[in-house]
Amino acid sequence: MTILERPRHVGPGVDRVDGPQKVTGAARYPNDFSHPDMAHAALVRATIAAGRVARLDTGAAESAPGVLAVLTHLNAPRLATGPSALLATPPPPLRDDRILYYGQYVAVVVADTPERASAAARRIEVGYEPAEPLLDIHDPRAERLPDPWGSDASWGDTRAALDDAHVVIEASYTTAENTNNPLGLFSTLAEWDGDTLTVHDSTQWPTRVRATLAQMFGVPEAGVRVLVLYVGGGFGAGLRVWPHVILTAMAARQTGRPVKLVMTRPEMFTGIGHRPATVQHIRIGATRDGRLTAIEHESRSTVAIEGDNIEPCATVSTAAYACPNVTAHDEQVRLNIPWTNSMRAPGEAQGNFVLESAIDELSHALGIDPLELRLRNYAEVHPRSGLPWSSKALRECYEVGAERFGWSRRVPEPGSMREGDWLVGYGMAGISYFWYQAPCQARATVRGDGTAYVRSAVTDIGTGTYTIMTQLAAELLGLEQDRVTFGLGDTSMPPGPQAGGSGLTAALGSAVHAACRNLVRAFLDAAAADPASPLAGCDLDDVAVTGGRVHRVGEPERGESYAGILAMRGLDELSADGDSTPRTPQEAGMAPAGPFGARFVEVRVDPELGRLSVARVVSAIDGGRILNEKLARSQIIGGTVGGIGMAMFEDTVSDPGTGRIANATLGDYLVPVNADIPDMDVSFVGGPDAFNPIGVKGVGEIGLVGMAAAIANAVFHATGKRIRSVPITIDRLLL
Amino acid sequence: MREFAYFRAADVGQAVATVAADPEASYLAGGTTQLDLMKDGVLEPDQLVDITRLPLRGVVREGDTLRVGALTTMEELAADPTVAGRLPFVREALLLGASVQLRNMATIGGNLLQRTRCRYFRDPTVPACNKRRPGTGCAAIAGAARMHAILGASEHCIALHASDLAVPLVALDAIVRVRGADGERSIPLTDFYLLPGDTPDRENVLVHGELITAVDVPLPAEGTRSGYLKVRDRASYEFALTSAGVALLLDGGVIVEARVALGGVGTVPWRAREAEDILRGAPPGPAAFRAAAEAALRDPFTVPGTAFKVELAKRTLERALRTVSGVTS
Ligand SMILES: Cc1cc2nc3c(=O)[nH]c(=O)nc-3n(C[C@H](O)[C@H](O)[C@H](O)COP(=O)(O)OP(=O)(O)OC[C@H]3O[C@@H](n4cnc5c(N)ncnc54)[C@H](O)[C@@H]3O)c2cc1C
Ligand code: SF4
Repeated sequence: MTILERPRHVGPGVDRVDGPQKVTGAARYPNDFSHPDMAHAALVRATIAAGRVARLDTGAAESAPGVLAVLTHLNAPRLATGPSALLATPPPPLRDDRILYYGQYVAVVVADTPERASAAARRIEVGYEPAEPLLDIHDPRAERLPDPWGSDASWGDTRAALDDAHVVIEASYTTAENTNNPLGLFSTLAEWDGDTLTVHDSTQWPTRVRATLAQMFGVPEAGVRVLVLYVGGGFGAGLRVWPHVILTAMAARQTGRPVKLVMTRPEMFTGIGHRPATVQHIRIGATRDGRLTAIEHESRSTVAIEGDNIEPCATVSTAAYACPNVTAHDEQVRLNIPWTNSMRAPGEAQGNFVLESAIDELSHALGIDPLELRLRNYAEVHPRSGLPWSSKALRECYEVGAERFGWSRRVPEPGSMREGDWLVGYGMAGISYFWYQAPCQARATVRGDGTAYVRSAVTDIGTGTYTIMTQLAAELLGLEQDRVTFGLGDTSMPPGPQAGGSGLTAALGSAVHAACRNLVRAFLDAAAADPASPLAGCDLDDVAVTGGRVHRVGEPERGESYAGILAMRGLDELSADGDSTPRTPQEAGMAPAGPFGARFVEVRVDPELGRLSVARVVSAIDGGRILNEKLARSQIIGGTVGGIGMAMFEDTVSDPGTGRIANATLGDYLVPVNADIPDMDVSFVGGPDAFNPIGVKGVGEIGLVGMAAAIANAVFHATGKRIRSVPITIDRLLL
Repeated sequence: MREFAYFRAADVGQAVATVAADPEASYLAGGTTQLDLMKDGVLEPDQLVDITRLPLRGVVREGDTLRVGALTTMEELAADPTVAGRLPFVREALLLGASVQLRNMATIGGNLLQRTRCRYFRDPTVPACNKRRPGTGCAAIAGAARMHAILGASEHCIALHASDLAVPLVALDAIVRVRGADGERSIPLTDFYLLPGDTPDRENVLVHGELITAVDVPLPAEGTRSGYLKVRDRASYEFALTSAGVALLLDGGVIVEARVALGGVGTVPWRAREAEDILRGAPPGPAAFRAAAEAALRDPFTVPGTAFKVELAKRTLERALRTVSGVTS
C-alpha cells in the first residue's frame, strides 16, 4: 500500500469540517456544558506577592445568599501532588498559608449562581503578613538555575574565536513578559459520582488532565473522563493542569454538586501561565567576508518560585548557522511571579529575536546584504550533531520570499527610503525552528455502511486537527472525506499527546497512518478467510484503496469493498489501533528537522512622533508536506499577528513594588487590531520530510517567530536606530 | 456585583427627582462606562436610573450654535452634516475614539462624564486610590503609569481624563446645560472639570442628581480650519498617549484666531490658552508652532513612565498645527 505519493485528499485548502458548527454556534466549548444541579465557583486571589495569610474572615461570604461552601487553606482537603514530568502540575492549591505570587488562589467560593459566588468572594477578608517579594530579573538575591534543561551547548573555542574575529558584534537585548490571552475564557465543569469524575475542561492535553486529577485526588485513572471537544484558543496556556481545574474538582467533591468555574480575564493573566521576560546577551564574530567564526549567546528568563518552564532561548543559536565555535547558555531566575509557561513558540520567539537582530547588525557592520550574509553561513547539516537534516528548504524560503517581497529594491543605507512624513524600512529574519514529537495512539474503524470513524484523545485548539486528520484518514482508507469522521477531545479514546511544541500533526498523523494501515491489513485478513476473494494472499504492499474498496495495485476491478468484506464475514465493523513513537536521530541517521522560514517586512516610521506601522509581510515557510494549504496558511497568518503583537504591543506590566499585574484586561494589555495588520503573503516551499511516514512538520508556532527581529531590523533600516527591546513602542522609538 | 434596582425614567423631571432623592443612585445612559465599573466592583450604586428613553437625543442648529442632546450617540454626532462641514476636529475626535460598536451605544453626556482608565482606580483590590477611596494614597504614582496625565496632576492623583471628544469641545468653549432638582443652569465646559488637587474624587462641578440635558457648541467663524491628531500605541481602538485638537483662522499670512486643546496629557481636557496667545497674531510657521508647544507643556508633572509624553505632546501639537495650517516650513 503505497500512499501519499499522488494524494487526492491532503494538500489543498479544504474548508474546516467543523466550520459550520463554529459559525452557527453549535460547537460546544467547555463552558457551553451545564448540569441541571450545577453550582458555580469563584476564586479569591492573593493581593501580595510574598508572605503568608495571617487572617481569614470568611463569615460574611459564608452567610451570603446562595453560598454553599467556602474553601481556604484552613478547611480544604489535602491532595497529593500531580505529575512532575514535562510541564509539571503546580503544587496542590490551598495547601498552606504561604503566598508565592500575586494572584495565587487563597479561597474558592461555591454558590448557586456565578454572580452570587463572585459577590461572596469579594466579601472574604484576607489579612497578610507580607514578605519582601523578589520581582526583578536582575535581583541578585534571586535563585539562579543554570542550564535548566540540559540544552546548553558548546563546541570549538568560542572565546578564542571572538578574540581573533575581524568583526565582533556584541549587544544585550530584552523581551517583555507576554500573556497568552486565548479569547475563550478557560473553564472547568466537574462532576463526581463516587470515585468517578467527569470533567469538561479548556485544555490542550486531556490525558494529562485525567492523569493529574486521578493522582491528586487518589482515585483510579480509569474512572476519570476528561472532555474537550473545542477550545477557544490556547497558545500554550492549556498545556498544564492549572490550580483552578483542581479547585473546581475539589469544590465539586466537597459540595456533592457538579461545579462550574469560568475564569475572569484578569484571572487569565495570573492563573494559566505567561511568556517569561528575558534578558539576553550575544556576541558574534565573523571574518571580513562574512563567515561566522563564533556565536556566544546567553539568556536569562524568569520562572515562578515553585515553577518550571521550558524556554530555551540561547539554544536557538545552536541550530541556525554553520559556525565552528558556538556557546549557548540558558539560565532561569526564580521570582515571586505567577507561573511562566509555554506561549506560542516558547524560547524560539525570544531567542530568534536576538540572533536574527545580531545577524542584521553584523550585516550592516560588514556592508553585506542581510540575505547574502545568511546564505554565506547556511547550515547544510545540523550544526550541533553534524547529521544531515531530515529536510531543509530554508534556501528556497529565502529565494521565494525575497522574490515575492522585492528585496532587491532595498537601498542598503539606513534612512534612505522615504514616503511623505514616513521613513520606509525593509527587514528580514530567518527561522530554523526546533523539532518535537511525542508518542501517540489512534484507532480507526470502518463500519458496515462503509463510513469510517478515526479518533484519538487529543485536542483541536482551533488549528484544524479535526479537518486535516479527516483528510488524512480519507486518503489512507480510500474514502471520500464526507465518509470519514474524526473524533477527539475525550479521554475514553486512545491516548494522545498535547497540542503543543508544533508536534501534534506529526505524532497524530503518524498514529493515524499506522491505525489506517493496520485496519486495511485487518480487512485483508478478513478477506483472506475466503480463498475465492480476489484479495486472498495479498499483502499490504500489493493493494491500494480507492472508492471504499481494497484492490490489487493497478487492478481496480480485482478487489472488494469494505462493506462487502464486513458483510461476508458477518461483522458490523472492523477496528485497528495504531501508534507512533519517533525514532531517535541516531536510529534514523538524520537530524529531525522542524519547519524553516524566512520573513520579509516593510515598515513605516514617523520619526517625529515615534509611530511605527507594518506595511507588508512576506513569509516563505518550509513546513514539510502541507496537509491543508488553507489551514496551514491560517496558522502562519495567525502566528504573524501574534509576532506583530510581541514586536510592537504585548507587554505584561507588573507593579514594581507589589508584583500585581497592572494591565490585566484586554483594554489595557494591547494586542494588534485589524488596523495594525497589513496584507500578509504566505508561500510554502519544500517537500515531504523524511523523519515521519507522512512527511509533515508542524507549522503552528513558526508563524510567530522572526517577526520581532524582522520588524526591528526594518526599523533600523528605516531610521538607523537599533531597538533591542520588544515591544517597540512609541517611547522607545521617539527619535 | 452588588444587587441594584433598575428604574426607567419616563421624563426628565422624574429622572432628576429620582436620582436627587437617592444619594446612591446613578444615571444610566449607554452604559459603556457605568456598567464596566459596576462589574468590576468599582461603582456600587443601589439604583440605576435609565435615561435612554428621554427626549434628549438629536442635534439642532440654532444660529451659530449647535445644540447636541445629551443622549445623542457618538456615531450620530459624527454623522451630523454641520459637524462634518464646520467642525472637522469634532468629527475626527469622535471617529478616532473607541470602536464603532461602542460609539453606537455611547452618548455625548456619558462621554464627557466617562471615568478615568487608571487601572488602580478600576481595580478595587488595590488599596491606595484617592479617587476611589479618598485619603488612601495614589498607587499609580509609584506604579506602572504610562496612560496617565502630566498636566494638572498632583501628588494626590495623576489620572487622565481620556475623552477625545472633550478636547475639541473645550477648545470651542462649549457650554454644558444641566437640569437639577433646583432647576436648570449652564456651565462652560472649561469650568466644568475640576483639577484633582487634594480631592481627586471630585471630578466636576455637578451636584448629585444634576442631569446633563445638552451641550451647546458654538460654531467657529467661517473659514476656520481644524483637525484632531491622536497619537496612540496601536492604530485603532485605543486611547491617546497624546492628542491635539486645533482650530485656526488664517488671514493675510497671520493667525487671527487660534483654539488649541490637548488630550492624553491632562487630568482634565486641557485647554492650552498660553499656546493660543502665542499663535494669535503670529505668522504660521515652525517658530510659532514650537513656541506654542513649549508654552502648552510648561510645568508638567511627570513620573518615570510618563516623562516621554512631554516631548511627544509638544511634537503632536506642532504636527497638528502644521497639518491644519498647511504651513510646513
Ligand atoms: C473599550 C473602550 C474604549 C474606549 N475608547 C475611547 C476613546 O478612544 N475615546 C473616548 O473619548 N472614549 C473612549 N471610551 C469611553 C466611551 O466613549 C465612554 O464610555 C462613553 O462615551 C460613555 O457614554 P455612555 O453613554 O456609555 O455613558 P454611561 O456609561 O451610561 O455613563 C457614564 C457616566 O456618566 C453618567 N451620565 C451619563 N449620561 C449622563 C447625563 N446625561 N447626565 C448626567 N450624568 C450622566 C453616568 O451616571 C455614568 O456615571 C471607550 C470606552 C470603552 C469601554
Ligand atoms: S492616579 Fe488617581 S485614580 Fe489613579 S490610583 Fe492615583 S488617585 Fe487613583
